[in-house]
Amino acid sequence: MASMCEATTRVLPGAAVIELSGEVDGSAADVLTDAYRSAVGTNADLGTVVLDFAAVDYINSTGIALIVSVLARARAERRKVVASGLSAHYREIFDITRLSDFIELFPDLDRAVSQLTGPTA
Amino acid sequence: MTQVARPAPRRLDAFELPSEPGNERLALARVAETVQGLGLSDARLEKLKTAVAEATMNAIEHGNGNRAEIPVEVEVTQQGDEIVVAISDQGGEAHPSDSSDSDAEEPDLLKKLDGAQSPRGWGLFLIRNMVDAMDITTNGQRHTIWLTVRTGGAAHGEHV
Repeated sequence: MASMCEATTRVLPGAAVIELSGEVDGSAADVLTDAYRSAVGTNADLGTVVLDFAAVDYINSTGIALIVSVLARARAERRKVVASGLSAHYREIFDITRLSDFIELFPDLDRAVSQLTGPTA
Repeated sequence: MTQVARPAPRRLDAFELPSEPGNERLALARVAETVQGLGLSDARLEKLKTAVAEATMNAIEHGNGNRAEIPVEVEVTQQGDEIVVAISDQGGEAHPSDSSDSDAEEPDLLKKLDGAQSPRGWGLFLIRNMVDAMDITTNGQRHTIWLTVRTGGAAHGEHV
């Protein structure tokens, strides 16, 4: 039943995208840390990190703590974090925890990317 | 004044789980199956699932110390329009998850981002915000968290 967290990263002009799948819980710590490191690399000019949760089916309190850690690191590096693809339930959890005060939420990845990089032709 | 007697609680399910990390997923799946068809909206069901998962995680980790041989006990009852999920462990009075230690401190995201508070410590906070009522009782070593949701109306903080 449990599905391990996996992450795919890609870098766009000015933004890095981390597409997550599976479960964001305690077992996702290394995946998220490595994905962030891989996405950001040595690019000091990279201003935004997009976390896409469209394929995530479970986030628990430990997963919230991991997201807080990613956000703290990004803020320390003066990068913005945005999120896409959260279900209504997890959007509400982002509101309750106030994560949505610091992480702009987009309904889906396409809209997040087009807003960040401008409309594609 | 006339008092209307409440209907007697009806036990819907009771089960035990070994205290092993990850078993909270089994608890939430079984409770979700048990309460199916009782009138909870999808949004309220998702909230109950999150609350059950967090409470079971606390019971496994903090109450029973991840000792598989000590089971977490889960009981689901219905009384009128209320569904009550009771999750019990053997953590006793000194249950770390509801004491005044740092894990039980009200989480403050800004403090967490500034490093003044651990990034963790969201469990009880989430539970409280997911259900209509949360109660904690201890009887000797037995520590129980009671999660109550109503089948009608808007849940705590529910977006309409």
